[in-house]
Amino acid sequence: MQILVLTKPVPDPAAGSERLGPDFRLDRGASPAVVNGNDEYALEAALQLVEAHGGEVAILTMAPANAPETMRKALAMGAQRGILVTDPALAGADIPTTIRVLAAAAGRETFDLLLAGLDTSDGTSGAVAAGVALRLGLPLLSSAGAIEPNPDAATVRVHRLSATGYDVVEGPMPAVISCTQALGAPRYPSLKGIMAARSREIATLGLADLGADLAPGDGVWSTRVEAAEPPPARAAGRVVTGPATDAAREIADFLADRRLI
Amino acid sequence: MPATLLVVGEVADGTLTRLSAEMATLAESLAEAAGGRAIGLVVDAEPAAAATELAGFMASVEAVTAPQTSGESWAPYALAEVERAVDAGVTHVFAGVTAEGRDLAGLIVGRLGWGLLANAEAVTWSGTGPMVEATVLGGKAITRSVFTGESGVITVRTGSVEAEAAASPGTIEARDAVGTPSLPAVRVLERVAEAGAEASLEDARSVVVGGRGIGGPEGFGLVEELAGLLGGVVGATRASVDAGWIAYARQIGQTGKIVKPALYLGLGVSGAMQHRVGMQAADAIVAVNKDPDAPIAEIADLFVVGDLFEVGPALAAELRARHGG
Amino acid sequence: MATVATQSPVHGAVRLTEDQILLRDAVRELALEQVSPRAADIDRAGEWPDDVRQLLARHDVFAIPFAERHGGLGADLLTLCLVIEQLSRSCATTGLMLAVQSLGAIPIQVAGSPEQQDRWLPGLASGEQLVAFGLTEADAGSDPSALRTRAERDGDEYVINGGKRFISHASVADYVVVFAITNPEAERPSHRMSAILVETDRPGFAVTRLEHKMGIRGSPTAELAFDNLRVPVENRLGEEGRGFAIAMQTFERSRPGIAAQAVGIAQGALDAAAAYAVERRQFGHPIGDLQMIQAMLADMDAATEAARHLLYTACQEIDAGAPDAARWAAIAKLVAGDAAMRVTTDAVQVFGGYGYVDEYPVERMMRDAKITQLYEGTQQIQRLIVARALLAGRS
Repeated sequence: MQILVLTKPVPDPAAGSERLGPDFRLDRGASPAVVNGNDEYALEAALQLVEAHGGEVAILTMAPANAPETMRKALAMGAQRGILVTDPALAGADIPTTIRVLAAAAGRETFDLLLAGLDTSDGTSGAVAAGVALRLGLPLLSSAGAIEPNPDAATVRVHRLSATGYDVVEGPMPAVISCTQALGAPRYPSLKGIMAARSREIATLGLADLGADLAPGDGVWSTRVEAAEPPPARAAGRVVTGPATDAAREIADFLADRRLI
Repeated sequence: MPATLLVVGEVADGTLTRLSAEMATLAESLAEAAGGRAIGLVVDAEPAAAATELAGFMASVEAVTAPQTSGESWAPYALAEVERAVDAGVTHVFAGVTAEGRDLAGLIVGRLGWGLLANAEAVTWSGTGPMVEATVLGGKAITRSVFTGESGVITVRTGSVEAEAAASPGTIEARDAVGTPSLPAVRVLERVAEAGAEASLEDARSVVVGGRGIGGPEGFGLVEELAGLLGGVVGATRASVDAGWIAYARQIGQTGKIVKPALYLGLGVSGAMQHRVGMQAADAIVAVNKDPDAPIAEIADLFVVGDLFEVGPALAAELRARHGG
Repeated sequence: MATVATQSPVHGAVRLTEDQILLRDAVRELALEQVSPRAADIDRAGEWPDDVRQLLARHDVFAIPFAERHGGLGADLLTLCLVIEQLSRSCATTGLMLAVQSLGAIPIQVAGSPEQQDRWLPGLASGEQLVAFGLTEADAGSDPSALRTRAERDGDEYVINGGKRFISHASVADYVVVFAITNPEAERPSHRMSAILVETDRPGFAVTRLEHKMGIRGSPTAELAFDNLRVPVENRLGEEGRGFAIAMQTFERSRPGIAAQAVGIAQGALDAAAAYAVERRQFGHPIGDLQMIQAMLADMDAATEAARHLLYTACQEIDAGAPDAARWAAIAKLVAGDAAMRVTTDAVQVFGGYGYVDEYPVERMMRDAKITQLYEGTQQIQRLIVARALLAGRS
């Protein structure tokens, strides 16, 4: 099986230092970058699938030029090669452009499955997988909690998580699958994997390599942030100690006051 | 071009979702501010009931019968109808922040190249177009954003407005789906309900969350009991989910659901940033934890230092007593 | 124009490569999650934690200092030190596991024949087998030429009689590289000994005692007795009489590992003290607000950072083949060992009374740190090496 995984470097949520720049765009220099959490789950799923079915995993990233540092970890986990699309014209790219560019780059690859994290910790729109599927004309199986390909029949089944459990959905391959945490925790890169990653290739593409008209010619994105503020501070709360029955009464009083019971 | 705002309603268990009703109210008020109009769209195998509900909130609703959606993925069919509506003059499309809504938004952007403003917590009409307020970067900032062009897609979070019934029910135009989906079909083979299946976390008015302090799957019995007494829904932290005590569908946090309930009650929740991001916008936050230094104390309106296995049952008893037994 | 005369081939700023950073961070994560929770118990039990050895083996940690053709990761000295540092930051005993494995393997790597290397190194790289370095004796510590263990040639075997003291891990090792006198008549004392690999299950090899130590208590330190221990001549590493030279060559590459252990211990103590300083409140403030605490922490940080950078530079110099590699190894170990002792002592001070009890890790770290001033050459020996290098060629 050939599996392509979309991975995005995002500011490390654990570092807690993400911030917006003066133009209200994400300041990507403000924190160390890591692979987006959900993408790691997608990558882990891909690695397990090729371990079971044979084949290779490649990662596709659209990011600033320093992305190889973050991509190395994905290679160290076991992806065979990486494709980086980077271009100064893509700084601050909006969602439609991101979708067009990723679809154009993915369209140059042969794959049975294209996996993407459900959403990113920095953008959180959750729209990219669907948009890429549309542009590639591929079926979309979303919110995957389990992935079961049938290479002989060229179909794939996915447990699509729902509010009440999951739906078992099936589509033809090649297919696009958006991946959730329920797929299982990503492996640590083994030290052997880290050393092996040194010799794995990351191909770099610019916009010119992908074709015309992917980004707006006038450099104006489809959306613009007009203003950004810190969220309003919460009023300080009250701390309650003491016997459980007293505490329970205080909670109930609080709820009654707020008309919650 | 006059603003024409399309609300894509979602159907769950045969009825319209609360989020769809909220979006309807939102769109109508924006349309008024814009001097334009709003239209509702319900695409379903049997849209009549949900369309009637939606018409209780909007002047104009299209009920599209797409029988295939009972056995196939819904979003491509909804996309086809949205495209038709856009051809007929729709300028902005509103979808809910749900799995289906986000997929639909992505399909629309992929097809039309429109901009997307996601996770709207509030939308106002500013001069020439909608202005969307959203929380970004795990709660670090609230941004206000606009489209630079004349159209766009907005995904809307639960609780942006209170759904408001229209003065009189709107008109419903019923027809069959005409669009062919632009993607290969994804068939639904089976719908599996998992234990503890209940209403959506994002729609819930109250959420009672079990954290690491719950100690095991049995502890969630207490969480369920309190959720029941409060008319709410059970949620979980990542720690509980990773430990296998409860399904991922219940997880609230950065990699789970973001909720804005009227009441959040956390039991044995430490309040790691990961989780806080998912619930810190709740109106009222109450937490019970043995650890007086638990980070959740920083955002709780009421923080009880105590053993949840003592305070919890005591609270259940108290709630029963106040309810009159 | 005057130029700065230096023999150093490198003398540039040390920049870690992407994979060194990835490796370091992967080991840090592993150590934090799996080793740190065990550190206090390992110290209290005072027993070899084989579960940790297996953990390291599973994660290819032992493979680091071995060539790829022997199943290793082919990493350089700096990379090895990065890993020892991160392990030691959580637990000095654990860092020592890798350091001793590397130490014991170096004689095989520098003096062993290809056949010997193929025979013994892969098992060490996988962590399945352990190796110890057997030089020190009861009366031969700083002065290895006072060694008395003898290996007499008898046909195609050596017969070894004598004993060793303070040999790390010899009681759990599969092999000990034993330094023994094979050429007692040689004129120069430094030409009298050879290095011989001894499999510990051979008859005549005995562990006669394990030391009860101040620190690194999970690491067994053994006294050995050799009683007509017979070993094939094929087990000798390098030529007869080359043992001393092999030992000296070994120290050049092994001392940085101890320096790395020391830097790691210091950093762990600094981490603990800094965290405590922001939590502990007295007089209405965190004690970290007090200048005397700040001064101590700042000096601790400076000492650790300086030791670290000196170590990293030393590693690069040694790997680049610097002619004064011995001086680099000695100076790095000297500075790092003293830094570790100073930083851990001050860490206990920051904790006040709590620093003295085992509820907090710093008393263990202070006990662990002391050994870095003692083994692999005492600080005094390191000073002799540095002074000799400094004064050579100046008269």
